[in-house]
Amino acid sequence: MSFALLPRRPLLALMMTLMTTTAYAHSVETAHGPVEVASDPQRVVTLHEGALDTALAAGITPLGAVTTRGGDGVARYLDDYLDDIAIVGVVREINIEAVLNQQPDLILAPPQLSDEQYALLSRIAPTVVPPAQGFSREAWKDDARLYGQALGREAEVEEAIVEVEQRAAEMAQAIAEQGIDSGATLVRWMPQGPLVMSSQLFSTGVLAAAGLEVHDGGLVPEQAGHSDPLSLENLSRIDDDWLFLATLNADGEEALASARQSPAFERLDVVQRDRVVSVDGQLWSSAQGPLAAQAILDDLERALLP
Amino acid sequence: MRQALFAAQAQHPAIPWLGLVLLMSSVMLLSVLVGAGEVGALRALAVLAGDGDPEARFVVGSLRLPRTLIGVVVGLALGCAGALLQAVTRNPLAEPGLLGVSAGSAFAVAVALLLGASATTLRVSAAQLGALAGCLCVLSVARLRGVGGDPVRLVLAGAAFSGLLASLTALLLLFDQRAADEIRFWVIGSLSGRRLDDLLAVLPSLAVASLIVLSIARPLAALSLGERVAAGLGHRPGRVRLLVIVAVALLVGAATAIAGPIAFVGLVVPFAARALAGPDIRRVLWLCLPLGPLMVVSADILSRLLVAPSEMPLGVLTALCGAPVLVAVVRARRLPTL
Repeated sequence: MSFALLPRRPLLALMMTLMTTTAYAHSVETAHGPVEVASDPQRVVTLHEGALDTALAAGITPLGAVTTRGGDGVARYLDDYLDDIAIVGVVREINIEAVLNQQPDLILAPPQLSDEQYALLSRIAPTVVPPAQGFSREAWKDDARLYGQALGREAEVEEAIVEVEQRAAEMAQAIAEQGIDSGATLVRWMPQGPLVMSSQLFSTGVLAAAGLEVHDGGLVPEQAGHSDPLSLENLSRIDDDWLFLATLNADGEEALASARQSPAFERLDVVQRDRVVSVDGQLWSSAQGPLAAQAILDDLERALLP
Repeated sequence: MRQALFAAQAQHPAIPWLGLVLLMSSVMLLSVLVGAGEVGALRALAVLAGDGDPEARFVVGSLRLPRTLIGVVVGLALGCAGALLQAVTRNPLAEPGLLGVSAGSAFAVAVALLLGASATTLRVSAAQLGALAGCLCVLSVARLRGVGGDPVRLVLAGAAFSGLLASLTALLLLFDQRAADEIRFWVIGSLSGRRLDDLLAVLPSLAVASLIVLSIARPLAALSLGERVAAGLGHRPGRVRLLVIVAVALLVGAATAIAGPIAFVGLVVPFAARALAGPDIRRVLWLCLPLGPLMVVSADILSRLLVAPSEMPLGVLTALCGAPVLVAVVRARRLPTL
């Protein structure tokens, strides 16, 4: 298999010839072509929240990881799975030296890793970059499967994904049977107007799998955006059956209280009917992976199916 | 020649002033009539006529009217603060935003939020103290040899100071996630989502600032003739300067506490006022009264319309208007000293 690639990728071929003598055992297909990784990697560094989540779901504790969006550590929902982990930068600014210090034998990187950084990181250890898919509800599963392959834990990851799918399907059925209203919008509240999250994100995809109809007020261009700010004058566009209010603060109640100070928010129908669910922004607007999906389903179950 | 031309125009200051007040009133009306939402001018007019559907009444009464009033106050405060700061430093580029006074104010608000202050009044006092500290820092830099005499160098010093404060504010964001969301809201200048309570909280300090300005307008005008002349006319230059700085800090602090840092208003407004009224600070201040709200409210209207159904940050638009003026002033062959 690697022979067919020799003429096209001389550098990679050279690397692979050098590596065949060591314990490098299997090859995974990444955005930068096939990469050889050890059959049982011991020192894993994850540069993507989805990779950290997937590794933990597969029973592997990485040595280093990047922080969650807007935080100084990994996301709070992972507290139960992990005691201590070295921070090797933020998603947009990876500290290459910190990665090197961990002496990894496998680096799991985000789909949007730049070519320059790939060039550096792949000299430290085999670096696995999933092909970029833009904003898509299902992309996290492909990413997770690829990370699972690289970790040599395909079966465990597949099982975790199936568990999420089954639980979501069960919840969808329960929601349909109990006749619970299914329209939902996810926003981050800011006093000058909310940020409406795309319906094509990981978290909104999990909501959709659990039988909710996720709307973004027709604001976020398809495939193009993560979120879009909305003027207070147009707040009626987020007046859905359910409003999920994400906050980067730990205290969701406080975020809700500050949103309720705005008269435009207070007069929304969804607020009047007390159907605002405040959720952790680290989990709902930044994380991805099977553990994150389970945590989102936990939140959803508490709110809709008590 | 130019000065003579302006002086000739300044013979009839009442005419441009009345025109500007009319223009300001029509822009205020427009600000109530149009917005990023679906409530158009006709539905809004119906509300003003005492009629109209509940949705339109809410949008006009609770969203557009407060932000228009807040825009007027912010424009007044920033326009006058710019004119005063320029008169006291005798530098046409002395603008609270450019010199780091607004940044000092925003930094102080960030510290206050970090320490757990949530009351509006506390935020206003913090913003004003920060503005005062910013003013004093910048003016002590201006006293250094060579800096005070050169308007552009003073702006450079202000830019360095603003950069320092902005990075300190970013540092605070790293320390405390709880305050981070609130701070992020304050460091973006905007009129949206601000409440009338915030406006009421700054009115007392604005009243104090107005009294100070009224009491020092004449000595300040004398000061522009030179320190000796002012002293000869019986004024005390040191005390006048100190009072001006206190007034600027009160004005900028109030504006920042309501709307966040908004740059360039204090540059463009006095610049236009001087072009219409000549160099006399008293006439300039009178013209700043309608010109400041005119600029801020117009920029706010554009910020709502350009990217509807979203809104742009107000600071982006004031910078778009202000940066060309800054470049034009700097590029002029001789910088006019005041």
